[in-house]
Amino acid sequence: MKKILFTTVLLCILLSSVLFSSTTLRMIQVFSSPERTKIIENIIDKFEAANPGVTVELISPPYETAVSKVNIMMSNEEPLDIVEVSDWLLSGLVSMGSLENMERYITHSEQAKYWVDGVVEAARTVDDTAYIMPNAIYVKTLFYRPDILEKYNIVGAPRSMGEMMAICQYITNGKDQYGFTYRGIDPVNFMDLVLCSFFDDIDPACMYKTASGKIIFEDSRALEGLKFYLDLYHKTSPKDSISWGFDEQVNSFVSGLTPILIQDPDTTALLNYLLTNGVYKTAPLPVGPGGKVYPTFGFGGWGIPSYSKNKDMAWKFIEFFNLPENAAYFCKQYGALPVDSRIYDQDPYFSSEVFAGWAEMFADPETYQITAYPIDNEVWGEWFRFQGDIQERLLMNRMTPEKALQEFTQFWKDAGI
Amino acid sequence: MSVRVKKAISKTLKGLALGLYLAFALAPILWIFITSIKPPEDIYTFPIKYWTQKPSFEAYRYLFGFANFSRYFRNSLFVTFFASIVSTFFALFSGYALSRFPFKGKGILMIFLFFTQMIPAYLLMIPQFQMFSSLKLTNNLFGIIIIYIGLGATFSTIMAKGFFDRIPVSMEEAALIDGCNRVGVLFRITVPLLLPGLAAIFSFSFVNNWNELFTAALFLDSDSKMTVPVALYSFISKAGIQWNVLGAGIIVALVPTMIVFFFAQKYIVAGLTQGAVKE
Amino acid sequence: MPASKNEKGAKAPFSSSLETRPFRSFKKKSRRFFFLLALFIPTFSVIGFLTIYPTVRGFILSFQNYTVFNIRRIRFIGLQNYEKVINSGDFGLILWNTFLWIFFSVLFQMLLGLGLALLMRKPFKGRGIYTGFVFYPWALSGFAIGLIWRWLFDGSFGIINDILIRLGFIETGIGFFSDPTLAMLAVIIVNIWYGIPFFAIMILAALQGIPKDVYESAWMDGANPINSFFKVTLPYIRPVLVNTILLRVIWVMNFPDIIYAMTRGGPAKATEILSVYMINIVFYENNNFSKASAVGVIIISLLMVFTTFYYLISNTKKMEM
Repeated sequence: MKKILFTTVLLCILLSSVLFSSTTLRMIQVFSSPERTKIIENIIDKFEAANPGVTVELISPPYETAVSKVNIMMSNEEPLDIVEVSDWLLSGLVSMGSLENMERYITHSEQAKYWVDGVVEAARTVDDTAYIMPNAIYVKTLFYRPDILEKYNIVGAPRSMGEMMAICQYITNGKDQYGFTYRGIDPVNFMDLVLCSFFDDIDPACMYKTASGKIIFEDSRALEGLKFYLDLYHKTSPKDSISWGFDEQVNSFVSGLTPILIQDPDTTALLNYLLTNGVYKTAPLPVGPGGKVYPTFGFGGWGIPSYSKNKDMAWKFIEFFNLPENAAYFCKQYGALPVDSRIYDQDPYFSSEVFAGWAEMFADPETYQITAYPIDNEVWGEWFRFQGDIQERLLMNRMTPEKALQEFTQFWKDAGI
Repeated sequence: MSVRVKKAISKTLKGLALGLYLAFALAPILWIFITSIKPPEDIYTFPIKYWTQKPSFEAYRYLFGFANFSRYFRNSLFVTFFASIVSTFFALFSGYALSRFPFKGKGILMIFLFFTQMIPAYLLMIPQFQMFSSLKLTNNLFGIIIIYIGLGATFSTIMAKGFFDRIPVSMEEAALIDGCNRVGVLFRITVPLLLPGLAAIFSFSFVNNWNELFTAALFLDSDSKMTVPVALYSFISKAGIQWNVLGAGIIVALVPTMIVFFFAQKYIVAGLTQGAVKE
Repeated sequence: MPASKNEKGAKAPFSSSLETRPFRSFKKKSRRFFFLLALFIPTFSVIGFLTIYPTVRGFILSFQNYTVFNIRRIRFIGLQNYEKVINSGDFGLILWNTFLWIFFSVLFQMLLGLGLALLMRKPFKGRGIYTGFVFYPWALSGFAIGLIWRWLFDGSFGIINDILIRLGFIETGIGFFSDPTLAMLAVIIVNIWYGIPFFAIMILAALQGIPKDVYESAWMDGANPINSFFKVTLPYIRPVLVNTILLRVIWVMNFPDIIYAMTRGGPAKATEILSVYMINIVFYENNNFSKASAVGVIIISLLMVFTTFYYLISNTKKMEM
């Protein structure tokens, strides 16, 4: 009797598992924040509603540990089906052999046809093969506070580095008003942006080289740029901004202490929340003495682990996520630039005043020349800290700009750039 | 100066010093509390607002509503409680053995226990992860419990040995002569005497486990399995820190350890003093 | 002072001054063996599985080339990781920072903890509640503490600067984290704040154990409070102090949480201690767990050397007394 009962139960379980076969996709994000988690979960809910039997489990590790966690999970082949790959993670994961080659998916994808310029190249950064489906791009722009600047009879945003310096210096009183919103921790290479703006011949494929193949740090223009960069800190920024991160930056900008800021588009989400509409504006990055400036093209995307057992379903989700309406929702809420050109036409938000800075830059690729970091170089992960450390020494006057440039040059020579 | 005046002066000075220290200890958490009940626009202001006109518990509502904090709280309680209880029991046994039985190599064993305290957590992380990954114990609260037991067992054993050393063996010997068996002696005679010590060991593990961050952040994936420290850490994102929410989280996270601590502090001192008082 | 031999190994601040007599032996040797074994198995299997095995693996890792880029090509590279760490040019600075961090943290934790314990020694109204309130920092996580104080020390929105300005000590906010010396000072102050309760609790317990009549006889001999502190109190709590200090040194060495949350070792590595360096290698150098493990092995070695010398020194002093 017992045996029969047991067998029946077992059969029932087996049968039901066949009938209601369900798939669980495990997906991990790296730019986690509680808000971003909610945004992605909303898209997941829609996907699950459209695909009965499929559940997507979102893993949101704390931001600072996320990159390490992805690396460790992938190297141990922990169950994952979709992984967010930031540009900085890409080369490491590819060399680990853990990312599925996505070419076969992308070539058949309708969406890839509508990608804005540069996205294809970005996806194929490593080995000239697409290992990810980009979901957003990040280009820096200038944020400013007209209300604060008006107090000093300044209208509009600075158009050049020189103008920016003049305005910032003019309004700085060293007490409760400063000019530029500096950032000392995790500089995310604002220094590079300033340095490059002193050039007019940067390699579009690598911002640390000139078109003629010279390392920029060897060039005398880099020294000018670096000195300008240091002046900006010493003359127009609060002293402790050397220890500021993104958080302090945004808060200083919001409080009006420093009305000029250069940041990524994800700042918009936070600013829209903290400031009433129209209090801040964006403008193109100020150009350097050469009349040009070289923004980099940052990106993030979805990849599929090569050991995933649900690759096709994972791809289905990725395509769903990148549908114009979903991608628009994601980019607007989180603060990123969409990869799909249709969104810029469809959604008025992306042509609103908030996007003025980007719109103008993209319309004039001659002045605002997009370039890229050498992220496919193996030393890139070390460079970040190396550069950050030297930057702090520079700001504290513990190293001369000349010496710093020598160190930078040596670093990249050793890396064989 | 009369003796009475001298005494009064010394009493006032003492009170003053105690008061000053209390202020030093409490000020930071008080400020965090004030920050946690400020509306967002009052947090970054010039000049700083020491009090807010419209105190709000929005941050707390956010924690338990938007951020599912009660779930993390339950997970943390479960993991912490379980791991602390088990490691306290483990320590009870091994501490007893170390205290009561002379045997060869005991000195080396103590040095060895001591040595394990010197090992930095990051040295263990990758090997532990590889091991747990192959055992399919990642993203599993029991996996975390096992790790926490490991973290706590050593120091708890050393503590337990110290406590046992302070309890005279004469009672146990008497009970043994009366025909009680060894396990009986341990539980009926020694453990009741050791209760304050066990409370101290337990609360020590509790505090450590409750606050553990980096292992949990690496070993747990699912939102439904998150612990409180990881959740708090999640409020630091690329977009910065939400100070009022983080503050609220810190305050809420402090409650269980404070409760344990309030109960245990009497016993901790008592447990540590025990042997000497009996002298 | 009676100092039993195995107190040497017992890191516990709680080692007894009470000699435990050898426990009555079992009738049969084998039964005794199995009883002992049963008592030890839980703890030591856990330690073996979760500490010893991973430590050995970590040790091996330190001679390999484990980074994100080499995961499929891991091989032995001899002492290269150690060479890289030691020849990095900043190693001297990091060691010096580590020394400053440990020395000043533990010294002031001990002195203030001792002060607090002496103040709290005699019962007063509300002592239980007072204890709960002043000891709570111990119940916070290191990471939370770092964050709290980072907020307090903030150069623009920090309450510490604001108070100093209002009191007229300074005119504009001090960038605590933009000056190497001030940054180190700040993280050490926070660590002191955090560590006082542990010392106080240990010392308080030791103080309660001092028999009253010892003081009475000292009084009879005409000792004033200062005298009796040095002649009676200090010798009595000495073993506790010696052990607690060692324990704290070991823990503080392996305690990157506060620094990591406050400065991440900056500015320009001014607050980078060995354990913070280890985390930074993992997070910012392509997950180079091999190099990080080499730093870990260096940490253990330094602590072992220190412990040996510490006990040699503290024991000779004991004999002098």
